[in-house]
Amino acid sequence: MTDVREAQLQDGSFEFLAIFLEGLPFIFLGTLVSGFLGTYLPRNAFEKFLPKNRSAAILVSGLLGAIFPVCECAVVPVIRRLVKNGLPASCALAYMLAAPIFNPVTAISTYKAFNNSYLVSGSRLAMGYLIAVAVGLIMARVAHKHFLKPSALEESHEHQHPRTLSAAMNNSLRDLMDVGLYFTIGVILTSLLKTTVIDPTSDFWKGLAENSLAATPAMMILAFILSLCSTSDAFIAANIGNFKYGPKLAFMVFGPMMDAKLIFLYSTVFRWKFILFLCLGLFIGSGALSLFFEHVIEANWNQEVTP
Amino acid sequence: MTALHTRLFGLLATIWGGVLIYFYTTMRVKEYLAPDFHHLIMIGGIGIIILGVYSLLNPSSETACDHGHAHHDCDGHDHGHDHDKNSADCHHEHEGHGPGITYVLTLLPLIGALYFTQDKLSNLGLTKKGLYEIPNLTAPADAPPFTREDLEKRIPKNANGEFQLSLVTAYYVAGDREVEGIFNNLPVEFEGRIVEEKVNNENGFRRRIYRSMITCCAADMSVVGISLEFDAPSADPPNETWVKASGILTFEDIKGDRLPLLKVSKVVATEEPYSEFLLRE
Repeated sequence: MTDVREAQLQDGSFEFLAIFLEGLPFIFLGTLVSGFLGTYLPRNAFEKFLPKNRSAAILVSGLLGAIFPVCECAVVPVIRRLVKNGLPASCALAYMLAAPIFNPVTAISTYKAFNNSYLVSGSRLAMGYLIAVAVGLIMARVAHKHFLKPSALEESHEHQHPRTLSAAMNNSLRDLMDVGLYFTIGVILTSLLKTTVIDPTSDFWKGLAENSLAATPAMMILAFILSLCSTSDAFIAANIGNFKYGPKLAFMVFGPMMDAKLIFLYSTVFRWKFILFLCLGLFIGSGALSLFFEHVIEANWNQEVTP
Repeated sequence: MTALHTRLFGLLATIWGGVLIYFYTTMRVKEYLAPDFHHLIMIGGIGIIILGVYSLLNPSSETACDHGHAHHDCDGHDHGHDHDKNSADCHHEHEGHGPGITYVLTLLPLIGALYFTQDKLSNLGLTKKGLYEIPNLTAPADAPPFTREDLEKRIPKNANGEFQLSLVTAYYVAGDREVEGIFNNLPVEFEGRIVEEKVNNENGFRRRIYRSMITCCAADMSVVGISLEFDAPSADPPNETWVKASGILTFEDIKGDRLPLLKVSKVVATEEPYSEFLLRE
């Protein structure tokens, strides 16, 4: 084995363990919550809490991360179970996509990473929220069977299931195994890509920062591959090369919604075809909106936002 | 889920939890995660083990029917089955994967990673994290103007009267001519790992000292390194040793960039600190 291959194997193993160790406790927390919700939460309980109007319910769902802050790893098993318990999938999507961004932890870390900038932190939260509710509103018009996996589709049925600790633990275990499997596959892919494909210090990558057309897609691809936690990605975005504010915003909005490990986690709830469309839609939407935000901020505040 | 499947999954969960506890009790976790996450690893590990052991001891004694009832759309086919009302036991086919594939796809990579990792990045990995780059650091926005008085007040000195400066601070001041004047020709001591210098080192007199910075885990790591200039080529201490490097801090212009440079008077090996990482603030 060559020295380079040995080094890549060492680095890939290191990256794999770092993400696995960081993510597994959150996955467990999410599956524990999901298992107990699935057992004890009455069906359609959310109808009592969310507005009756579907659009208003989606708008509210996008804000729930402020009250129930969860990272992108933990949110998937939770919404998976909530959808089965009657939460409209469009609301679940809005919550799933917005929660990792629209929460106090991410807001503070972004604020700190960008020199105590309310502008950057606020625009990140606003953009994350807008995209999440837009996806929710669009998907509210599509039948669940077109984007939810059959196992996530629920149909009211008459028989009662036991509401016991044993049932809750078994549900949690099953969720942990399902989500843990896809999480592991995602982490393997992330580690492989990080150690073999991407080198942010290369001349090629640095050159992209100077190219206004390529910079934004490049930063979103980087976010996809790096698969960072939304609570820490602002520090990486702030310190990556000479990229302007727009590409960095795209990095911080697209990454928590779609990355190499998340696509596998999403596949526990959604159909692969939908995940591909979602990825494409988020890519285009995040890219376009981030450039728009950059333009508006620079035009109105007459400044370039840099760390 | 059959009782056997529940037991097998319970065993696998116990193994996962055991891995977390192993990393916590051996403190290998500090090579991978920020200190704030260490206790989370322990709590998560214990929780997963409790879940696993519980499932081993109580396999499918009561199973909530938690999967979908996709009678109307199951990838284009229907699957009819009868429900016994009020039954606690639903015998639908669960869409999740069986224990075999879950064991293979989660344990093999985990075992492989445990075998091949050296609890740190290689030089190639560090290079990708910016070891030989100029760090694009976020300066604290609320930092007051730095004066000689600030320096004396804030930065501790070692027994030899050298300022124990962080590598990050040296980069903050580079390029700011006013503040740089305070730090230029200052006797300082840096702490970090030492490696070979691969840039601006034509005569081979230079090596490099670095620290890694993280927020959550090693996956978000970036590296800050500064050149050390010796009087002659030196290979002692060996690469990757933790060292304290003393000398005079200077600044140089390299291809239009202003960079800090330590003209070394002494480099001594030192104990590894509790955490490999500096935390980003």
